[in-house]
Amino acid sequence: MGNPIVLGVDTGGTFTDVIALENGTLTGFKLSSTPPNFEAAVLEGARTLSRSAQHTLLHSTTVATNALLERKGAKTALITSAGFRDVLEIGRQNRPCLYDLFPRRAPGLVPGHLRFELPERVAADGSVLTPLDLSTLPDIIQTLREHRVESVAVLFLFSFLRPDHERTLGAALEAEGFSVSLSSEILPEFREVERGSTTLVNAYVAPAMGRYLSRLKQGPASRLHIVQSNRGCMTPERAAREAVHTLLSGPAAGVVGAMTVARAGRHNLNLITFDMGGTSTDVALIKEQPVITTRHTLGGFPVGVPMVDVHTVGAGGGSIASVDAGGALRVGPESAGAAPGPACYGRGDQPTVTDAHVALGHLRPEAFLQGRMTLHPERAREALARLGQAMGGLPAEESARDVLRLANLHMESAIRVISVQRGHDPKDFTLVGFGGAGGLHSFSLAEALGMTRVLIPAHPGVLSALGCVAMPLSFETAQTVMWRWEDNTPGQLTALLRELQADLFARCADDNIATDSLTVSVTLAMRYAGQSHELDIPGDGDPGGLLERFHETHRQHFGHCAPDEPVELVTVRLRAETPPPQIRLPGLPERAPEDPPLSVKNGCVRREEIRRGDTLKGPLILTEDFSTHLIPAGWTVTPDAVGNLLGTREDPA
Amino acid sequence: MTARATDLAVYHHMYQSIADEMGAGLARTAYSPNIKERRDFSCALFDAEGRLLAQAAHIPVHLGAMPRSVEAARRAFPALNPGDVVMLNDPFEGGTHLPDITLVSPVFHQNQCIGHTATRAHHADVGGMTPGSLPNSRSIYQEGLRIPPVRLVRGGETDDDLLRIVCANSRNPAERLGDMRAQLHAHHLGETRWHEMIRRYGQPALLQAHDELFDYAESCMRAALRELPEGRWTAEDAIENQAGDGVQARIRAELVLTNGTASLDFTATDNAVPGSLNAVRAITEAAVAYVFLCWMCKDNPADPPPVNAGCLRPLNIHTRPGSLIDARAPSAVAGGNVETSQRIVDVVIALLAQAAPGRFPAQSQGTMNNITFGGTGADGQGFAYYETLAGGSGAGPGRPGASAIQCHMTNTLNTPVEALEFAYPLRIRELAVRPNSGGKGKSPGGDGMIREWEALVPMDVTFLTERRFLAPAGTQGGGNALPGKQTLLRDGKTLPLPAKGTVSLHPGDRVRLETPGGGGHGPCS
Repeated sequence: MGNPIVLGVDTGGTFTDVIALENGTLTGFKLSSTPPNFEAAVLEGARTLSRSAQHTLLHSTTVATNALLERKGAKTALITSAGFRDVLEIGRQNRPCLYDLFPRRAPGLVPGHLRFELPERVAADGSVLTPLDLSTLPDIIQTLREHRVESVAVLFLFSFLRPDHERTLGAALEAEGFSVSLSSEILPEFREVERGSTTLVNAYVAPAMGRYLSRLKQGPASRLHIVQSNRGCMTPERAAREAVHTLLSGPAAGVVGAMTVARAGRHNLNLITFDMGGTSTDVALIKEQPVITTRHTLGGFPVGVPMVDVHTVGAGGGSIASVDAGGALRVGPESAGAAPGPACYGRGDQPTVTDAHVALGHLRPEAFLQGRMTLHPERAREALARLGQAMGGLPAEESARDVLRLANLHMESAIRVISVQRGHDPKDFTLVGFGGAGGLHSFSLAEALGMTRVLIPAHPGVLSALGCVAMPLSFETAQTVMWRWEDNTPGQLTALLRELQADLFARCADDNIATDSLTVSVTLAMRYAGQSHELDIPGDGDPGGLLERFHETHRQHFGHCAPDEPVELVTVRLRAETPPPQIRLPGLPERAPEDPPLSVKNGCVRREEIRRGDTLKGPLILTEDFSTHLIPAGWTVTPDAVGNLLGTREDPA
Repeated sequence: MTARATDLAVYHHMYQSIADEMGAGLARTAYSPNIKERRDFSCALFDAEGRLLAQAAHIPVHLGAMPRSVEAARRAFPALNPGDVVMLNDPFEGGTHLPDITLVSPVFHQNQCIGHTATRAHHADVGGMTPGSLPNSRSIYQEGLRIPPVRLVRGGETDDDLLRIVCANSRNPAERLGDMRAQLHAHHLGETRWHEMIRRYGQPALLQAHDELFDYAESCMRAALRELPEGRWTAEDAIENQAGDGVQARIRAELVLTNGTASLDFTATDNAVPGSLNAVRAITEAAVAYVFLCWMCKDNPADPPPVNAGCLRPLNIHTRPGSLIDARAPSAVAGGNVETSQRIVDVVIALLAQAAPGRFPAQSQGTMNNITFGGTGADGQGFAYYETLAGGSGAGPGRPGASAIQCHMTNTLNTPVEALEFAYPLRIRELAVRPNSGGKGKSPGGDGMIREWEALVPMDVTFLTERRFLAPAGTQGGGNALPGKQTLLRDGKTLPLPAKGTVSLHPGDRVRLETPGGGGHGPCS
């Protein structure tokens, strides 16, 4: 008997990536996704790779994300404290675009006639001002039934301090057969708009997730875990209830996959990941661990659960280039998508970023997608020549170069958002480019950002699936407390942490996870009293040094600190996780003395011909099955033991 | 030789991203809820001559008025040195109203001034008659600390004496200090990034591109103006009196559109008023610029063409010194920035709507509903809490108005209920869309909003609100919206509250503010 087989499956819109890990041996491949029944490809991949039923399946899924972004979630109602039924519609009351004669918001998830109020009110100190009055609940339930409402979100003010009103109502609704999401369970933190919006999004996507998972559970896997947005997995039962935690399941898997191959190659784990696809690009920052944020917005809705801080821009290989009324070039946000696709695919005639690469010879017809698709370079050049005409008579090659410059500018801005705007200098990081178009841009982007290291990851086609199998199971909880530090916070904190950890372990036990193997980490959100934004301070160990750590972190982030000002502890977060799976990646063979040297044809190298000990110098085009990498002059690329390729250049500064 | 189209796009995005990063830095490091939570600040870049190069998408009334701040700083200090930062808030020397403190600093390259960075932030209290410094004053001397252009930083050395004066005049000195530091931090970020950009592209190329960036933006504005017919139109609207039951003064304007230019003559506007609704000329310029920028961005508001000094070249504005919208010292001006600016927008939209019926919205709520609570909390500390409230936006053909949304000259966020109740001795009793307050119509106007506060300790509340009597109007047969109103709920009785003024509250008193809706468009079928 060998080790149990672990399968990782990442479902994307186009492809489902599958890998199996058994005794350190990695097998992987891509399947076409099977929307809308995504489970078909997942189950097919699992059957193909697993000879026995005894396997664990770790899965990242876009089911919840699609339900939200395509507005195909459950019919949902909202019940709030009396006086606050519109609180999520009003949100923060700002308009999305500054100069807009007809401002509009994204339509909400719950129409006005499905928002209800119940008399109840808890004060900021947790005391009950108005007890919960359920006398109108039967009428509400009747209305819910008349409108065939499936799911209900409950948002009571200050419920994170005193959840019993929400729990009483939740039990009553569940008894009537509704899917229920309580704000005090989904996100027990202050700020009603963020907590309420997160809870409502959960209510909206959870039923779809539940149905999907129940279909998936009919498959052969003996254990199934779902990837959360925060670099951990959860059980399918929890994922069905708390589906909001899976909204960035896929991007989180990609980020963890990139980190996993970098770690296996013994690289420094200060990484910026750059995942460029056909219509959009995801970027994220890893500083030993992926940066986590609780301030994400998805589809226009704030979502406050911890997620990998992935920033997405609507620019990718399919982004269309055009000239605007004033004569300036634009790239995106419109995309040619898969149909008609870039001009070079032979159907459309609008120039895209991909066409610019074809026109400049970066993408070669003979090597494109393993020859599965015929490229029409002449159509790309024609489209770019037309664009050049509109820019005052530029030849096709020049307009292609302009398109790439501008596309790079959008990518560069995206990376600046997650680095510079968060106080990190990109120069201290290695850029990891992947996705269909990542390798075409990563080196030039690195140059623009002053970065001197680029990593072309091993196993790029199944990186997200690899990320799935590298994730531990994780459990999180949080509690807003709003304590003044001088009011015996360290003493109270010890007791609270004990309590929260007991809750967390009870949840683990519910999921049949042995608690003795868990590692618990604590994060404290702290601020100066009167400030409105908190800093996350690692809270492990002695509470005595916390205050100093807060002042110091404040100084680092904001350039100043005020040790004499009173400090507040706002929110306490706990995370428990199982030991991280140990992943051994297959090694890259050495080039034996009898082997012929690496062959470069027309400035092109095939990746599978690279062996340990090889050194590649740009300019060079590196091709592999699903992507192409452009290595400019000045860069040296060497493989590591597991097949990552590290590009370096002399620091120009 | 001309900079190529793509170079222009690149430079525009780079300058824009510098302004964005300054804004992110300011929000990140600011201290007060007013700046961090409500985002009541703006950042912009100017060239060596003080022409707007790029701005972050912040607050229109700030952005349109900041060129005057840079001009005033340069006039006061013709020979600024590297490391200098000029501070000002004087409405009659580059500012608009006293709470908005503006910093301007030169950026040097090889001993030459090549541009300026500027930040403007609404400081929650700069002294004056009432907490929050938006009083119902009768002269500038009642409104708080007045700062003409002064050098807050000289050659990199901050003048702590000046900061002490600013702090000593505020009801919350620690907050002032934290927010001023955040503004200085944003300037530091802006300068660093600007230098990086120079290293990357070379100053000669950038400098050459400036004129073309202005020309390009001008061509975008002219193209938008040419979509309008040529002609001459007049319009007027009014501001209300203290009690909110009558007209106090009228704004009258004439628009001439010809050959891709727009000329606006406001000289027939009434004289400045005794109260605080007077606007300095910078506000009038900001309001006019806002409407025309909306028109320029109409086809793609999410990704608009560059907004810089070039856009404003085809606009000519004539005002009469001493009038309501070109007020001179010592007029009181606290409300001109927040209220009269909205009325100027209404007048400009009314002019353009005659030129292009159906292309402009009916009137939006037309006020910022300024409300400030101040007093002493249970902990003995003074507090001042300021809020502006959203309302309904005006409808257009096939485009219903939006409800409870910030309109026109502001776009600040609200203070979340739970954050507010943790911080201040107040309790929110209701926060809701105000039903049936938008104007009826084929496309209905957006609804206003209701917010009700309960005082938990004795405190004062100050109102500075408009559209309590003159309802936001519908267009082309659409109905008017409901005007706003505020009431006091005390001991089971409902009492009226003034549109403008200060009232003392007892514990348990409730203030209920209902904001105006937006006008409807077209007759109901």
